[in-house]
This record gives sequence, structure tokens and C-alpha cells, in this order.
Amino acid sequence: MASGGSDVDALNQALNSAQIFEGKQQQLLQQPDLNHKGVDAEEENGAGLEITCFSDVFNDVPLHFQILRLPKQIYVWIGCSSAKLGNLYAAAPTRPKDMASVTSILGGTSDNTGTGIARRLVLKTGLNVILASNIPKNSPMLEAEAEKLLVQKLIHLGYTRQKAEQSSSIARGRKPA
Amino acid sequence: MGSSVPRFPVTCKNLSLDIKGNKTDVVLCSYDDHFLVIATQIGAMGTILHARKEEGVSIEPTFNVSSIFGKRDEPMLLACARQLIEHISTSGSSKSLVLSLGLKDHSVETLRGIVSAVIDNCLW
Repeated sequence: MASGGSDVDALNQALNSAQIFEGKQQQLLQQPDLNHKGVDAEEENGAGLEITCFSDVFNDVPLHFQILRLPKQIYVWIGCSSAKLGNLYAAAPTRPKDMASVTSILGGTSDNTGTGIARRLVLKTGLNVILASNIPKNSPMLEAEAEKLLVQKLIHLGYTRQKAEQSSSIARGRKPA
Repeated sequence: MGSSVPRFPVTCKNLSLDIKGNKTDVVLCSYDDHFLVIATQIGAMGTILHARKEEGVSIEPTFNVSSIFGKRDEPMLLACARQLIEHISTSGSSKSLVLSLGLKDHSVETLRGIVSAVIDNCLW
């Protein structure tokens, strides 16, 4: 096939798109087993990552949670009454000590509504954390309850690291995971 | 009797596909005011971009796309976000988009593959 280069290119592009879809369907049929322990209500685990979704009520205020576990990161959404995304925070473990840094990347001002939660999640899990939260300002009780429920679920799912691991990584000055 | 637990308000969709030999996990979530799209090949969220439609008086909508976390010098990622927000807008939704791309390469084919996969499974 010597000439008609542009036609071949267009055909290749079309074929590439077709291949992508075929690959996807095959994956869906194969259902790779990526399950962690602790399967819970309303868990989406079709053919990819697993999202854990659950809701609770505190003082007549509905709280909604989403936890997405990626191999090197955790994404968490906390919804308070509404399903707005809210403010987005990024937090990560910081060397040399077992510290965590947190920053607001969308929506947040200088309020601390999500920053404390994000920081403590990093300390508990040792992973990078992206937290989206629409908990209103000046609701410390709600914030504390949301964090408590979230951490309970993380422990249940096995995403937190053990206390022994934490102290040994501090002692040896090891790089966090 | 008491307060019952309501149905979960956020719709999610998970899928996994192969783009140029790299396994790509895609997650789509629909919140009240945003769509969240995560596409990862590296096990982390990577660069996070924010795209929104600007309120304006002209007939043609304009969009604001920016990188809010991670790489800021990759125009292909911005182009990807721009394509998706335009698709959201033409589908009739005025929600904003938070797009997270953790990719091994930023080639045109990869991003085209991501855009196709997201549009085929879109929640809007």
C-alpha cells in the first residue's frame, strides 16, 4: 500500500476507536477481581475501581460519603444534606517526619472545614488524599461526626494503616507509602 | 418512624478499558453542581482540571478551563477538559466539570480515547 496515506490514517483512527470499545467490552465480561475485603452497601465494582458509597443521619442531617480507593491515593466525598461537590482539598504525607500537608484546590477560602479532616486522613492512611466536602462552616459537631463515621468505614474497609506500622515508620524515618 | 436513610444522591459509573496498551480506569460521578471524571493509568488521580461554562450574553457559550492541581504546562489535558465541558454544555447541562487525568502519556490518541470513553458512558 503505497499511496493514499491520508485515507489510511483516517482508517487507522477509526479502527483505533473501534478497538478501544472492543477492549472495554471484553474487560466488562472478564470482570477482573479487584475486590478488597469489606464489600459494603451500594458498592460499584463493575470492571474497574471500587467506590464505596454510604449514607447516615446525624441530628436529622443526612450525611453522604463516597470513598474511592486508588492504588496510591484515596478520594473521599462528604455530602451534608445536598449532593454538591463542595470544596476540594488535597493532602499528602510530608517528609521528613510523619506530617501531612494540606491545601485547598477548589472552592475553599481560609476556613478549616475540610482541611482538618483531610490532614487526619493522611495521617491515618499514609496515602495522598483528595477530599471534597460541602459541610457548612461553623458546624464542628457535624464535622466531627462526619469524620468519625468516615474513619470507622475506612478501618472497616482496611484502608487505614495499623498503629504499629505508623510508629515503626516514624522510628525508622521510613518514607511513607 | 424516625429519620430513614435516603437513597444515595450521587450517581456513579465505573469502567475499565485499554488505551494504547495501558489499562485505564474511568470513574464518572454526577453531583448537584459538578460532574467528576477520573481517568487513571498510574494508580493516582494525577492532574486535576476544572472546567466551567461562563455566564454571558452572547449566543455562543464560553468556557473557562484551568488546571487546579498537578501539571500546568500540558495543553492536551486542557484540550481534553475543553472538549468534555463543551459536550456537557451542548447536552443541556450547565454543571461544571472536575476532570482528573493520571495518564502515562499525553498523546493525542490517548486523550481521544479518554474523551470517547467518557462521552460513550456520560451521565449527562
